[in-house]
Amino acid sequence: MKILVIVRQTPDTEAKIQANSSGNGIQTDDIKWILNPFDEFAVEEAVQIKEKTGAEVVVLTVGAERSVDAIRTSLAMGGDSGVHIKDDSFADMDSFALGKVIGSKIKSLGDIDLILAGKKWIDEESSQVPIQVAEELDIPQATLATKVEVDEGSKTVKVTSVIEGGEEIRELKLPAVVTVEQGINEPRYASLPGIMKAKKKPCEEVGVDGINSDEIGIAADALGSAGSRVKTDNIEIPTISRSLKVLEGNDVQQASAELAKLLREEAKII
Amino acid sequence: MSEIWVLVDKAQDTVRNVTYEVLSAASKLKEKNGATVCAVYVGDNSGAIEADLGKYGAEKFYKIENPALKDFNPSLYAAALSEVIKKHNPDIVLGGNTLQNQDFLPRVASRTAAGLCLDAIDVDMSSSSTLQVKRYKYSGKSIATISFHDVKPMIATVRLNAFKPTEGSASAEVVSESVDLPSDENYKVIETKIIPKERPELTEADKIVSGGRGMANGENFKVVYDLADSLGAGAGASRAAVDSGWVPYEMQVGQTGKVVSPNLYVAVGISGSVQHYAGMGSSKVIVAINKDPDAPIFQKCDYGICGDLFDVLPALTDEIKKLG
Ligand SMILES: Cc1cc2nc3c(=O)[nH]c(=O)nc-3n(C[C@H](O)[C@H](O)[C@H](O)COP(=O)(O)OP(=O)(O)OC[C@H]3O[C@@H](n4cnc5c(N)ncnc54)[C@H](O)[C@@H]3O)c2cc1C
Ligand SMILES: Nc1ncnc2c1ncn2[C@@H]1O[C@H](COP(=O)(O)O)[C@@H](O)[C@H]1O
Repeated sequence: MKILVIVRQTPDTEAKIQANSSGNGIQTDDIKWILNPFDEFAVEEAVQIKEKTGAEVVVLTVGAERSVDAIRTSLAMGGDSGVHIKDDSFADMDSFALGKVIGSKIKSLGDIDLILAGKKWIDEESSQVPIQVAEELDIPQATLATKVEVDEGSKTVKVTSVIEGGEEIRELKLPAVVTVEQGINEPRYASLPGIMKAKKKPCEEVGVDGINSDEIGIAADALGSAGSRVKTDNIEIPTISRSLKVLEGNDVQQASAELAKLLREEAKII
Repeated sequence: MSEIWVLVDKAQDTVRNVTYEVLSAASKLKEKNGATVCAVYVGDNSGAIEADLGKYGAEKFYKIENPALKDFNPSLYAAALSEVIKKHNPDIVLGGNTLQNQDFLPRVASRTAAGLCLDAIDVDMSSSSTLQVKRYKYSGKSIATISFHDVKPMIATVRLNAFKPTEGSASAEVVSESVDLPSDENYKVIETKIIPKERPELTEADKIVSGGRGMANGENFKVVYDLADSLGAGAGASRAAVDSGWVPYEMQVGQTGKVVSPNLYVAVGISGSVQHYAGMGSSKVIVAINKDPDAPIFQKCDYGICGDLFDVLPALTDEIKKLG
C-alpha cells in the first residue's frame, strides 16, 4: 500500500504578521517557517499506518525552495520519500489551481491508495485543497477524521468524522482522500537520528515542465495566479484597541458586582 | 434576471438560523445588483418551509429533492447542486460556513468552474458584477479582502453570526428541480451519531467562557461551566487545558483550535498567548480573569478582574444571576 501525505509550510504561529509593500500579501523576510501544525497529525497518522501495515509513505508539497523543510520534517517523522513541486510559476495559486496541480502530479505517480491531509492550512485557511484534489481525481473524501481504519483486503477505509453536532462513521473505497482532525493522534517529535536519516531519503523536485498542464486544463502560461479564480486584493492588520478596564480583585464580591454592572450598562452585552 | 442563491440549512424539521443570516447577506448584495434572492434546498425532503424563507427575503425557492440525498454525501450533493447551477446560471451562491457546506462546495466549484471563498465575515459588490469578500487570514491576525476573477458563479460561505437576520416580506415562489443521481458505491455512511450538547456550539455561541492552565485540573472546570450557564454561554479552553487532558479538544479556542467571534468572551486563567488570541481576538468584548497583574491578556481585554479565579468566578456567577 502507498500513502501520500500532502503537507504545507506555514509561518510559525508566534510570527507577527505584517502586510507587504503591495498590500495584498505578508512580509516574509523575518519569518520562521514550520510544518503546518495540522499536517503533523496527517504525517503521524500515515506513519502509524505504515508501522501496522508496512505501507510506503510519500510526502508531497507545493511551495517555494524553503518549503522542502516541511518535507524533511515529515521524512524525519518516518515518511519514506518526498515530492517537491517548486516552480515559481506556481506562486500565488488559489486552492482551485493547487488542487489541479497536486491532482495532476498524483495521477502521474500512479498507484496511490490513500491521500492524507491536514484539516486546514493555518494561514490561508482555505480548507479546500484536499477536496479539490479528491474532485480532480474523482475519488471520495472524508474530512475531519478522528479515527482512520484501513482495510487492505477490501480496499476500503473506515473513517470517523466530526459532523455538526456529533460524529459520523463512513466507509470509503480506496483510493480516497482523508483530512484529519487535530488530536487524532500525538505527533512524534523528529528524533536526531530521524533527522539525519531524512537527509538521505529521496526527494523528487518537480518543475513546471513536470506537470502535465494539458491534462489539468490550465495552460502552462496560465499557472499561478492566472490559473486561479479568486485573488487577495488587500490585507489589513486589525489594531487592538480595547478599553483595558482592569478591576482589583481584593474585594471579590465588589469587583464582581462592578464587572457585572459594566457588562450590562456600559458594554450592553448581558 | 440574475439570481443570488442561498443554500438552506435544515436540521430535522426547522430551518436553521444561519439560513436567515445568509439571506440577509444576500439582500445586502441585492441592493447593489438588483438580483433575485433565491433559497435553494438540497436534500431528500424540504418540507413546507417556503413561508419561513419568504419571511426573511427569499423571492424564489428551488427545491432539489432526491431520495439519494437522504444521508449527506459530498459527491452526490455536489452533483445535484452543480447540475441545477448549470441550468439556471446564478451569479452568486452563498451558504453558511457549516461543516457540510465546507465539505461539498469545493467540489461544486470545480464542477461549475466557479470561484469559491469560505468563511466570509462580510460580503459586498465592488461594481454590479464582482463579489468582494472579507475574511480572516492567519487566524485572527489579519483581515483580507478577496475578489473573484471573471468567473460565474461566485460562491462564498458566510461565518455564523456575521449577519443579523432581517425580515422581509417576500413570498417565495417554489420551483421543484429533479436531478438524476447515480448510486455512489465509493462512499457509504455506516452510522450517524448526534451527541446532545449541554451548551451552545462554540462557533455559533453568542457568549463564551473559557478556562486555561489556571484551572489546575478538569474538575475545577465546574466553575467555568457555572458561569457559562448563568450567561447562557458556550464553554471553551486554551490549548494548555486541552493538552493537560482536562477537557476535550473540541473545546480548544485558538489558532489551532476553533476561531470564534462571540459578542462576549471571558478568558479565565488564560495568559493571552498569541495563538490563543488569534482564535478569539475578534470577539466584541473580551473579559479576563487572572491573578497575575502582568498577564499579557490584561493588555488586550476590555474588562478584567485581577484576582484568584476560584474566588472571582463564584462571586461573578452570583452577580450575573442577580441581574437576571
Ligand atoms: C503551534 C502552536 C499552536 C498553538 N495553538 C494554540 C491554540 O490554538 N490555542 C491556545 O490556547 N494555545 C495554543 N498554543 C499554545 C500557546 O502558545 C500557549 O501555550 C497557551 O495558549 C497557554 O495557555 P494558558 O493561557 O491556559 O496557560 P498559561 O500561559 O500557563 O497561563 C495560565 C494563566 O493562568 C493564570 N492563573 C493561574 N492560576 C490562577 C488562578 N488561581 N486564578 C487566576 N489566574 C490564574 C496565570 O497567571 C497565567 O496567566 C499553541 C502553541 C503552538 C506552539
Ligand atoms: N501547497 C500545498 N502543497 C501540499 N499540500 C497542501 C498545500 N496547500 C494545502 N495543502 C494541504 O491541504 C490542507 C488544507 O489546506 P487549505 O485547503 O489550504 O486550508 C493542508 O493542511 C495540507 O495538507
